[in-house]
Amino acid sequence: MTAALLWASLGLPAALLLGCLSGRLRRHVPRLLAIAPLPALAAALFATHDAQTEGGSLLFGLVLALDPPGAVLLGVSALLWSAAGAYAGAYLGGKPGAARFAAFWLLTLTGSLGVFLAADLAGFYLAFALASLAATGLVLHDGTGRARRAAGVYLILAVLGEVCLLFGLMLAGAATPGGSLLVRDAAAALPGSPWRDATLVLLVLGLGLKAGLVPLHVWLPLAHPAAPTPASAVLSGAIVKAGIIGLLRFLPAEAALPDWGMALAVLGFLTAFWGVLVGVTQDNPKTVLAYSTLSQMGLLTAVLGTALAAGGMAEAAPPAALYAAHHALAKGALFLAVGLVAAGGMRRPWPVLLPTAVLALGLGGLPLTGGALAKLAVKAPLGEGLPYLLATASAAATTLLMLHFLRRLATAGREAGAEAEPPAAGLVLPWAVAALAAVVVPWALHLGPGDGDLAAVLQPAALWEALAPVLAGGILALFLRRLGPGHIPAVPGGDLVVLGERVARALAGAPRPAWPEGPPRLLRAWHGRAGALPAAWLAWAEAPLRAWPAAVLALLGLALAAAFLAGA
Amino acid sequence: MADGLADGPWAELLVALPLAGMLLALPLGGRQAHRLALLVLAAGPVLALLLAAQLWQGGVVGVALGGFAAPLGIALRADGLSVLMLLTTAVVLCATGLAARAGFAPRPGQGETRAGLLFWPLLLALWGALNAVFLGNDLFNLYVALELLTLAAVPLVCIEGKPEAVAAALRYLLFALLGSVLYLLGAALLYGAHGTLDITLLAARLQPGPATWMAGALMTAGLLAKTALYPLHLWLPPAHAAAPAAASAVLSALVVKASFFILLRLWFDVMPALAGLGGATLLGGLGTAAILAGSLLALRQERLKLAIAYSTMAQLGYLFLMFPLAGGGTEAQPWSAGAWTGGVLHAVSHALAKAAMFLVAGLVLQAAGHDRIRALQGLGRAMPVAVFAFGLAGLSLMGLPPSGGFVAKWLLLTAALASGQWWWAVPMLAGGLLAAGYVFRLLNPALSAGEGQGWRPVRRRWQAIPLALALLSVALGLAPLLPYLLLGLGRSPAAEEGLG
Repeated sequence: MTAALLWASLGLPAALLLGCLSGRLRRHVPRLLAIAPLPALAAALFATHDAQTEGGSLLFGLVLALDPPGAVLLGVSALLWSAAGAYAGAYLGGKPGAARFAAFWLLTLTGSLGVFLAADLAGFYLAFALASLAATGLVLHDGTGRARRAAGVYLILAVLGEVCLLFGLMLAGAATPGGSLLVRDAAAALPGSPWRDATLVLLVLGLGLKAGLVPLHVWLPLAHPAAPTPASAVLSGAIVKAGIIGLLRFLPAEAALPDWGMALAVLGFLTAFWGVLVGVTQDNPKTVLAYSTLSQMGLLTAVLGTALAAGGMAEAAPPAALYAAHHALAKGALFLAVGLVAAGGMRRPWPVLLPTAVLALGLGGLPLTGGALAKLAVKAPLGEGLPYLLATASAAATTLLMLHFLRRLATAGREAGAEAEPPAAGLVLPWAVAALAAVVVPWALHLGPGDGDLAAVLQPAALWEALAPVLAGGILALFLRRLGPGHIPAVPGGDLVVLGERVARALAGAPRPAWPEGPPRLLRAWHGRAGALPAAWLAWAEAPLRAWPAAVLALLGLALAAAFLAGA
Repeated sequence: MADGLADGPWAELLVALPLAGMLLALPLGGRQAHRLALLVLAAGPVLALLLAAQLWQGGVVGVALGGFAAPLGIALRADGLSVLMLLTTAVVLCATGLAARAGFAPRPGQGETRAGLLFWPLLLALWGALNAVFLGNDLFNLYVALELLTLAAVPLVCIEGKPEAVAAALRYLLFALLGSVLYLLGAALLYGAHGTLDITLLAARLQPGPATWMAGALMTAGLLAKTALYPLHLWLPPAHAAAPAAASAVLSALVVKASFFILLRLWFDVMPALAGLGGATLLGGLGTAAILAGSLLALRQERLKLAIAYSTMAQLGYLFLMFPLAGGGTEAQPWSAGAWTGGVLHAVSHALAKAAMFLVAGLVLQAAGHDRIRALQGLGRAMPVAVFAFGLAGLSLMGLPPSGGFVAKWLLLTAALASGQWWWAVPMLAGGLLAAGYVFRLLNPALSAGEGQGWRPVRRRWQAIPLALALLSVALGLAPLLPYLLLGLGRSPAAEEGLG
């Protein structure tokens, strides 16, 4: 039963993908996207935990299994994928390119669910890479200049992340006794590995890139908003969790690594505040949400880092999974709401705006929302001292960012026009399901396997503790509004990427767009020559080799060198 | 399968049939030559599969032609490595032959053209020579096969008579002849010292000494020149880029692998004990240089075919990492002889992927009349299947899963880490990253929304040929154990234990 469910989780999306190959079936696939993740949802609910099922010799022996945090994330991801799939079906139905979109959607879906299911190193890498690379097709879908730029930056960084992850996984595998390729064994052997630090650096780079840790986050605020709305929802909700589940699985469960934990926590908090600081300068509501995603993933990484420093990763895993689960559903619902507002304008805004406001403030920890439960859950791993204070401050900052988002959303709605048709039921229903789940699922997790009691949440002290950062964020937002738009700097989406792009163009020797006011003074000397440098160097290195005398000399030299080495 | 089938003369037929076809095609003339060639080519995969079945049932296949045993007679020998290369060759040539009909099949109402007449016999000669290389068990026969290969490949480069193609072909010919001279010199030294050139006999008789060392070095250098390993690559990019696309596909996918195959035979079968760490490191180092230089140069090309040709130069570099890594941490591998298996698998998956890429480049030339990368806007709309095939083949070159390239790289990487030689992992990973760069750079304009110019329409079935090759290259990454077991048959012990 468990084995059947686990294989069906990947099998149904794959089967639908095969359907895309046939010209006759292809037209129907976009409408079936909602059912593709349902076996995974069933697996998350009913499969026995930690039972392995092996796939024969496929890809070094693919092994599937579901650990408890994996089950939680698989369940919410499947739910979000299903809701967003229904939305996508209604959003794209009949438009040109719908079948291509559906094919990329199913590929990404298979990878995204596979990450939670794969129990062996090669399978984990395969699923991770599939989710990363196929998502390029989703980002690229609109084919606009913005989408192409986002897809380009995304692909380059994703492949860089893949390389780091692959090397890290190989190092982890090489240090596993008995040649086992299981993730569990590799993670257990990691603290004693001779290459422990190198492995961790590579894994954190590869996984952190997916989760959007600063400074590897630059692709995220470009790619998430560029994709069509349902794709933004799953990118920001489900796919970033591939990085989180990777960290949960590979960071040592028992061993305390204070230095590593500290570094992760610093990186996490830096990301959490960076996301808010840059996010409040953004105008596009989807970009604001993308910055909020990286801020939230930063906080979660900080939680894991603090736990790692104290050697409490095993206890921190369920709360972290709850936090990630709430974020997945809430962020997915928020993205879908942006699409609803853009489609339907502001004729009757409140049925959409009010739940959206509750969800948005829930990310900041508004009492009684799923977000409050998520914040409550990670309180224990954060401990008492500075990390807790920083997390509270980040809750206030998140509230500020979310209020900014709500304002931008309302503005976008007014710009869409009051005369627009109300959105179709096919768009509203998936959003409503995701929004409802964002409240219900955290409660279910809290009261169910989390053994949390109701009274602890409803105590006045606990309510006040959750409400205070939200109020602080509200006051900050008022200040910011008084400050006026003139005092907020305009930061381009993707912030640091703008510098990176110039360096990359220089390395590729491609013509660069001029700086609007001339190059900054720091770069001025470098600016003129750098572009020609690699080209000149390569041509210089290549030219002599193409001349006959040099080539023949190289040939004879090689023969002599080989003879010398053979005789030595 | 019936015993009769498993005992058939499949190895002999694989050499004889293409050569007989070549001889027959010339007098038949251009109208019939291409039909005959396609018929013979279609028999290729069948024969190779039959030989594989024969190997699977009875172990290594040895044939003494005409009943004369070595060292007097000509011996053919088919082990797992040979059969895998023969299969790959047959599949790639079949696909190329089908794709080449667009350029070289006679058109109704037109007379016989020189290119249309010559292409098909040359293709058959090339195939016969490749099969002879993969089945040869005698260093002199291998020399003859290699010469035939060069003499068939060079005219293919300049078959359309364009001036730059003729220049490139001449450069190729001169360099290949230089390599042949060195190889022949080495073979002569070995014969003088040991009195035989049969690989099995030679391996048993081989004594270390200056003559043997010099012979090994000369033959290695000659073969490196023909494989175009950095820094001996000067002839490859112009020749592969100037040839018609169908010829480029065969040259890049198969011809350079033939001399590499002989190098494997030489190092692993003839003189495994003599090949020291120094020599293996030298080859690995040159391979590293090839990966980095080839990828960087591919990244800078303005023309599609040149970029693909430089990518071949880079991908060939991976094959040479086999030498220092063979035997490394064999027990840590999913299969024994990991680095060796990985290298061979890389050769096969690169052959399929690269052939697919060049065939796509041919379709691009056909549709656009040029292959300037920047001017390919909107290609993705005009020929989506071909662009998809290009992307899939690129996946294999980057070494991303699921693809043959990924499994190959995984095996090589595991070997590098398990044997403690982690530094070889760096060029492998950097090469993957650079490959992603150049593949994306080639695809980016094609996927952009721009309309470009008016494309001449290309029918879906022409686009399906590269797609089939690219899919095969990806499917290698999902293949069950059977090919790897097959590859293990008759493998030299040095592949498992390492050189030296």
